[in-house]
Amino acid sequence: MSNTSILTCTNLTIGYRNQKAVIKEVSKDLNLHLKRGELVCLIGPNGSGKSTLIRTLTGIQPPLHGEVWLCNKKIEEHSSEEKARTLSVVLTSQVQAGYLTAFDIVALGRFPYTNWAGRLTESDKQIVKSALASVGAGDLTPRFIHEMSDGERQKVMIARALAQEPELMVLDEPTAFLDLPHKIETMRILRMVAQNAGKSILLSTHDLNLAIRCADQLWIINRSGTMISGTPEDLVLSGIFGSAFEIDGVHFDTTRGEFTIPVEKRGTFSISAPESVERIWTMYALERIGFCPSGSPDISVTVEISGKKPLWRVRLNDEEKECWSIREMVEHISTGYRKGGDRN
Amino acid sequence: MKLDGNETGDSMRKFVMAIPLIAGILILVFMLDLMLGSVNIPPDALLSILTGGTVKETWMNIFWDWRVPKAMTAVFAGGALALSGLLMQTFFRNPLADPYILGISSGASLGVAFVMMSAGICGAGAIFASIGLLGDMSISVAAILGAFAVLLLILLISSKIQSNITILILGIMVSYISGALVTILLQFTDETSMHMYSLWTFGSFSGVTWSQLPIMAVLLLAGFILSFCLVKPLNALLLGEQYAESMGMNYNRIRITIITTTALMAGVVTAFCGPIGFLGIAIPHFCRAFFVTADHRVLVPGCILVGGIIALITDIISRVPGTDIVLPLNAITALFGAPVVIWVILRGTKFGRGVTT
Repeated sequence: MSNTSILTCTNLTIGYRNQKAVIKEVSKDLNLHLKRGELVCLIGPNGSGKSTLIRTLTGIQPPLHGEVWLCNKKIEEHSSEEKARTLSVVLTSQVQAGYLTAFDIVALGRFPYTNWAGRLTESDKQIVKSALASVGAGDLTPRFIHEMSDGERQKVMIARALAQEPELMVLDEPTAFLDLPHKIETMRILRMVAQNAGKSILLSTHDLNLAIRCADQLWIINRSGTMISGTPEDLVLSGIFGSAFEIDGVHFDTTRGEFTIPVEKRGTFSISAPESVERIWTMYALERIGFCPSGSPDISVTVEISGKKPLWRVRLNDEEKECWSIREMVEHISTGYRKGGDRN
Repeated sequence: MKLDGNETGDSMRKFVMAIPLIAGILILVFMLDLMLGSVNIPPDALLSILTGGTVKETWMNIFWDWRVPKAMTAVFAGGALALSGLLMQTFFRNPLADPYILGISSGASLGVAFVMMSAGICGAGAIFASIGLLGDMSISVAAILGAFAVLLLILLISSKIQSNITILILGIMVSYISGALVTILLQFTDETSMHMYSLWTFGSFSGVTWSQLPIMAVLLLAGFILSFCLVKPLNALLLGEQYAESMGMNYNRIRITIITTTALMAGVVTAFCGPIGFLGIAIPHFCRAFFVTADHRVLVPGCILVGGIIALITDIISRVPGTDIVLPLNAITALFGAPVVIWVILRGTKFGRGVTT
């Protein structure tokens, strides 16, 4: 069963139309597969059509062409209740409901299963509690949603989607508005939900670094609306990932797996230090102020980490200086190196 | 898990425990409303009336012809106003929404103004001045027709337009148009009709006779039942329309049901009691703060009970017990209700909690 396709689309064209004609084709000839237990990140620049694709895949907006299959049935052939039991969503818009506890919110996820009055059975309550527990929000249960932080609220909304017991969860930018640790935590929770609960997850995001680390599959839409899908590592190695996002001056560093911040080149350096975190962060600091490693360096740095505190020996303009912090080293190079330039 | 039992955050349980208390208060203020007024009926006399004993003839008349229908009207009207305010606040996700936001009561007012003033202009004002059953009923019928016309207009618009903020604005525009037409009618009418109209706008629970009470009660009960059927979709709507639809709710059907139910209750109350303000906007906030939940399984019955209680209390105050003075009901609801609501919503753990929908 592990290879069952939960969501499939064939020759899909997405876009907008009015009653008479197609107004705008956003993307065409999409063939995508999402398997059980798989986490897919949908990435692409603003305006590339991520939201249109999500709206089409969740059946809110009809495709211009082609078909979307959800659990071996065309999405428009699902009854609204059947669809609600197969597919749940987490939207970008923040929920503004006051006087609702986390329990109440997650319990709303049982909507497709409860009776006309929305009465929760014991098993419904159990599902609600375990949904909250599995996103690490068990302690939030009796708390009000309007008194929570963004990160806590996002966990509750994920728990709500989980309590709907779907096959597929679709999340529209779940990491927006969150600080970096909470972005990572949210992705970790979603990873766990995919692995442990066997749910398929499709999420759109702008956090490329996180997406390559977490996703089983990346769906990349570039500016022209072309869609590329594949395993993140394959896409990085083939250079497709970088080229889809690089803009003037911003490059994807394939070694580090992240986008580098462009700096003006000022000179070259060499470093001699044992393999250590001090060596790595010294290199980052030097790169940050515009130096790149070279065999014939303008400056050379030796890092000694045998003592109580690390020591940086900087050789610049044939003079050596001892620095006791990276800050000191950076300041010395910044001032000293400029003088060297003036002398010429 | 350390959480279990009452700690789950399941707000239903707390409410069920509070029901006997609230029902007790309702019965108490109902009794007070029967006793107090220009002529006070002492408790032992009330007891003997209720147990079939005999008391002074005038007390019997006041009790059966005036107090009982008035108190029952207050209970129903208060509950219906609170409930339709709740429906509108949830539907529009706007804490400022009230039962009249769709323009329903403005339509009713226009109908009433039209009947009163055309009668005045045609020189038939005497019919209404005598306040016979026919005259009274014609006001209610005019109000219901006016409310119904606005409802049809709103439903027609909402079948074409998805955005409910557009419906909100259209409702407000309809109110302005009706208000403008009423003003024009007032300009061309005689003083008696004008005075009668302004008396009607004060609102009153005592205009409903025994023959009208069953009609009003049945219509409002239908509104209560429809509201109970809406608790689940109303809860889903707290997360917004998109979430509600993603959970399998049929938004269009629910939207029409909510609008119709609100129009039914607001229209009927306006027709029989006049445009009573304040209760509809304030009681839902009061209930949310009092029961500390936004769960409609609690708020729908809660609003009916609390709405009835507060309507009875305002009615008692407006009668100024022991005197012949009758103050305008609409002034009392706001004058005494607003400070209470302010106190309740600011009473929360911190001032920041405030009003939320």
